[in-house]
Amino acid sequence: MSAANSLVDQLDDLVSLERGEIDRRIFSDEEIFDLEMKYIFGRAWLFLCHETQIPKRGDFFEAPMGRDNVLVVRQKDGSIRAFLNTCSHRGNAVCRAEEGNVKNFMCTYHGWTFGLDGELVGVPGKSIFYKDKLDLSKHPLRKVAQLETYRGFVFATFDETAPSLEDFLGPTGRLSLDLLAERGDMEVIPGIQKFVVNTNWKFTVDNVFDYYHPQITHMSAFAVGAIPSPPDEFVEGGALTDEGNRLEVPFLPTDLHNIVMISEYGHAISGPEQAVLEKDYGSQEPFAWRYTPGTQEKLGRYGSRVAGHPHIFPTTWLTAGGQLSLRIPRSPGVTEIWWYSFRDRNASGEQQAAELSGHIHYFGPAGLLEQEDGENWAQSTLQTRGGVSREVPQLLKMGLQTSKIIKEDGLAVIEAPINEHAQLWTYHSWREWLRNPTWEELRARTTPGDYI
Amino acid sequence: MTLETTPVDPDVEVRDVLRQYEIEQFYYKEAALLDGHRYDEWIKLFADDVHYFMPIRRTMTRRQIGREFTQPGEMAYFDENKQQLQTRVDKLSTGTAWAEDPPSRTRHLITNIRVEDAGGFELLAHSNFHLYRTRLKSEIDEWVGRREDVLRRVDGQLKIAKRFVYLDQTILQSANLSNFF
Repeated sequence: MSAANSLVDQLDDLVSLERGEIDRRIFSDEEIFDLEMKYIFGRAWLFLCHETQIPKRGDFFEAPMGRDNVLVVRQKDGSIRAFLNTCSHRGNAVCRAEEGNVKNFMCTYHGWTFGLDGELVGVPGKSIFYKDKLDLSKHPLRKVAQLETYRGFVFATFDETAPSLEDFLGPTGRLSLDLLAERGDMEVIPGIQKFVVNTNWKFTVDNVFDYYHPQITHMSAFAVGAIPSPPDEFVEGGALTDEGNRLEVPFLPTDLHNIVMISEYGHAISGPEQAVLEKDYGSQEPFAWRYTPGTQEKLGRYGSRVAGHPHIFPTTWLTAGGQLSLRIPRSPGVTEIWWYSFRDRNASGEQQAAELSGHIHYFGPAGLLEQEDGENWAQSTLQTRGGVSREVPQLLKMGLQTSKIIKEDGLAVIEAPINEHAQLWTYHSWREWLRNPTWEELRARTTPGDYI
Repeated sequence: MTLETTPVDPDVEVRDVLRQYEIEQFYYKEAALLDGHRYDEWIKLFADDVHYFMPIRRTMTRRQIGREFTQPGEMAYFDENKQQLQTRVDKLSTGTAWAEDPPSRTRHLITNIRVEDAGGFELLAHSNFHLYRTRLKSEIDEWVGRREDVLRRVDGQLKIAKRFVYLDQTILQSANLSNFF
């Protein structure tokens, strides 16, 4: 029995919803990573880019799909296609720029040339070297199995049997994207921040839902007012400094109430209620976009109340501030992080500038928040490699088995104080994907029950 | 074998040589402040209306190389005014900025300094940098690039009125930019 088989056989031990424990081996094991690439990134609908990044015919953007790179290309008729960035002749990349505008993609190895639609349109010396026997129509660039957009967000899958994007997203995934799309006439601001963290990708996902960490991890950002400060109240007991002094931990108002949504295929939304953010900011004004009747209706009863953070399984995070982060696994211990930032085309110059400044100063490698996050993820990943350290289970026991799940509008909602339900749900769903079930089985096994 | 020396360019004036020396010393002092974690002194080198900007660099074809860097108003890694730089400095001194505690060891190597008049009391200074950083037990990060500074003489003191930092990397090969450039 191979190690991979033995790990698959142990899936129930690796992730336990009942105990709220995760086996640390899932963060460093090479064979687990290979299975993830095959059964998750080889099948799921994956976010590629936003339509506004490629507005003109011939505009392209290179995006990852697992270990493959695809070119997302605006067609002459305005539609969008995506194909692998690998020549059908000898495999060389047909494009080595991250983005740009072209009339054709020409392979620099032998000059095979492909149209915007991926069709092979030119082979140098076709009659001399191939005696005109090469059927060009049989050797286009390999296309993704399915490509669809939801409100301008472009997704693709390599699995032709995958359900439609709308079905894959379901109410929770669609709400996640609506929470960004409803902000206005949204377009991507030029420039995608891209950087590398020595971490397993699952730590970056886990962190999206974690409202227990900001008070300690982002203490310095609170202290200098880089993010709206919690009220002047402090948590009793708990942390002690290395000098033995009591660390005054700012009390997070998010502690009062969180709204969590967990859903089919592993998507989840978890974070404070909108009212809490308004309390932090001292008004509803920054959130005016949420309060038009159309938006309230679109977001629905629970969607109107949830502030963040939505995550579309496996690796797309939408922030409460109008950004989208893609977490790209490169190896078990290396993850690339990309930040797409959006703006409302119709917003005033001042408003656009203020939001842009927020995007630059919160997240990204120089972000006053994410600097500290990366440090945590890297160290957590490092400790999963120790022969003994890796045997210490990862704990997700907060509020375990105590929270009732309310089913309404196709959503599965939990209202509770800060908790670890969405993280646990993500790992549970991850485990079910790795069993490589049919889409029907996967859907059934990732349908929330009554409690978590 | 005889060593032939090139005569000094008659167009180079002593004034320019002294100015070059002054700017070089200014940058070396700035590097020493950063590498010595003396951020409170470092920030005093900046004019109150400074714009400190690090654009995003993108891998583009030669034909479209003009679009390589993002512009102000677009996405960037740093887009700071004095107050925002001050906030970053303050954050480092809180004792809870964990990405810099334990502190990084850095070495700012500043080279290829070229100075030109920008008119009035301002100079335009181009320089290259190599920022070497080690963190914790064995982490190593390196950034190489160039800076474009506008230096202004205020009450006889040089101040950085504008700094644009152009990194040579497109996908940053590091987890954070918790240091200054």
